[in-house]
Amino acid sequence: MSACGAEDQVFVCRCEEITREEIAEAIADGATTVRGVKVRTEAGMGLCQGRGCRKIIQQMLSQAGVRPAAEVLPSTTRTPVRTAKIAEFINEEDD
Amino acid sequence: MTRTADVAIVGGGVNGCSIAYRLAKAGKKVVLCEKGDFASGATGSCDQMVILQSKNPGIHLKLALDSAELFQTLAQELDYDIEYFKHGGMITIENEMEMNVMTDFVAKQKKIGLEVDIISREDAAKRQRGLGEHLLGCTYSPQDGHVNPFKLNMGFAQAAKKAGAELLIDAEVTDFKMAGGKVVGIKTAKGDVDAETVIISAGAWSPLLGQKLGLKLPIKPRRGQIIVSQPCAPYIVGDILSAQYIVAKYHPETLLNAKDRGIQLGVGLAISQTARGGILIGATREFVDYDVSNTREGIREILKNAARLMPGLKNLNIIRIMGGVRPYTPDGLPLVGYVKGMDGLFMAAGHEGDGIALSAITGKIVAGLICEGKAYTDVSALDPNRFELFAK
Ligand SMILES: Cc1cc2nc3c(=O)[nH]c(=O)nc-3n(C[C@H](O)[C@H](O)[C@H](O)COP(=O)(O)OP(=O)(O)OC[C@H]3O[C@@H](n4cnc5c(N)ncnc54)[C@H](O)[C@@H]3O)c2cc1C
Repeated sequence: MSACGAEDQVFVCRCEEITREEIAEAIADGATTVRGVKVRTEAGMGLCQGRGCRKIIQQMLSQAGVRPAAEVLPSTTRTPVRTAKIAEFINEEDD
Repeated sequence: MTRTADVAIVGGGVNGCSIAYRLAKAGKKVVLCEKGDFASGATGSCDQMVILQSKNPGIHLKLALDSAELFQTLAQELDYDIEYFKHGGMITIENEMEMNVMTDFVAKQKKIGLEVDIISREDAAKRQRGLGEHLLGCTYSPQDGHVNPFKLNMGFAQAAKKAGAELLIDAEVTDFKMAGGKVVGIKTAKGDVDAETVIISAGAWSPLLGQKLGLKLPIKPRRGQIIVSQPCAPYIVGDILSAQYIVAKYHPETLLNAKDRGIQLGVGLAISQTARGGILIGATREFVDYDVSNTREGIREILKNAARLMPGLKNLNIIRIMGGVRPYTPDGLPLVGYVKGMDGLFMAAGHEGDGIALSAITGKIVAGLICEGKAYTDVSALDPNRFELFAK
């Protein structure tokens, strides 16, 4: 789009290649949480699971004024916190 | 602020949004209220299958076939890329008992019009790498497919808005408005909505809403845990289930005394690959109330099961695990229709593990019942009044 500046073309989520512009569109569409942005754009669903983009999206949400910064909820994070091979899970015993 | 509508819908999952879209398109004034955001219930943490082979031959399969028909042109209709792909599907068969169940299942499904066959292990291996050497064979249907559930949910929501529906998020429904024994509206975090008809389409949470009306809905949350691999090159062709799932679902009596922890957790294989390359591996079927957390045991049992049926998966890297609650019903069919004895109330919930696949047809059925007084086909099997709904 010609109307948006270079800054809008910056990738916020590098894994899934989601731009600042797309995040802004999701917020304009009504997303009020990081999860809401994820559902609309798939930002945060890639290899790093949102470690890279979560903070920026939180910031964009609070700047848009949809909620006070402290209330902008992160998406649920679950284990594994690093990628792990299936074989490692199968072989582990109960703690 | 009080809104007025012809129809108020509780729940913005894939089914609530599909219904909102069809009703708005038919000219109804619709207000939908969602507690969180779109795709925040089961629709936000599920597999992606629009699979026909897993459906019980009968009304269940017929509705899934009709729904799949709608999926063929749904992206164009909604003007939204829902990432629907029809690459066919297989069900793995490991032992004689499963072979007997599947032979019978397939014969009945064919009569209803599904293209499906049992193929040898060799033929299955030509379609899919990495399958276990011990398999006796697989069923195969070219009609199976999958869809991106987030996009499907958002596609229905956007199309509903375009057709004139009002969709409110962060709008939890806290109570119902009654007048003379009739349901005449809802109270929500974003104000009241007065409506001629109120639809409960809140998936596994529907019974909590029913309680407010003194109803005992026979829907229970049934947790499914699933695992997502790191994006990789195309590997899984179509969708793969195991016959364990069919046996557990339609012949639970055969598993009553099972000692295997995986069987007790209801583990059945479900594998497919998303458009972005991640491989989804599921799932458990557990009754643990509304707990959507993951357990190490659940994850391990799913992966053990998957690696037995498809040793080729062992070297994949996992990047995420998820959990969601399916809306279980005792007979495996959703509740769709007006509630007798409580005018103004309409149910559309209880799709258990098939709500993505059945979402397209659910919207059409509900719009038919509400706008024309009848659906396009006989849906009496879905009538909510088949259960005793009023708490004693
Ligand atoms: C692990 C797993 C795998 C699955 N795999 C498949 C598959 O491959 N294929 C398939 O077809 N199906 C699958 N399913 C089933 C499918 O996910 C569900 O049947 C479907 O998503 C149900 O959609 P729904 O709209 O009826 O309910 P939900 O998506 O659960 O939506 C209900 C909505 O109601 C909202 N709500 C609740 N209470 C209130 C309230 N008081 N006020 C307002 N809103 C409220 C919730 O926030 C939620 O958004 C799977 C499910 C799981 C858990």
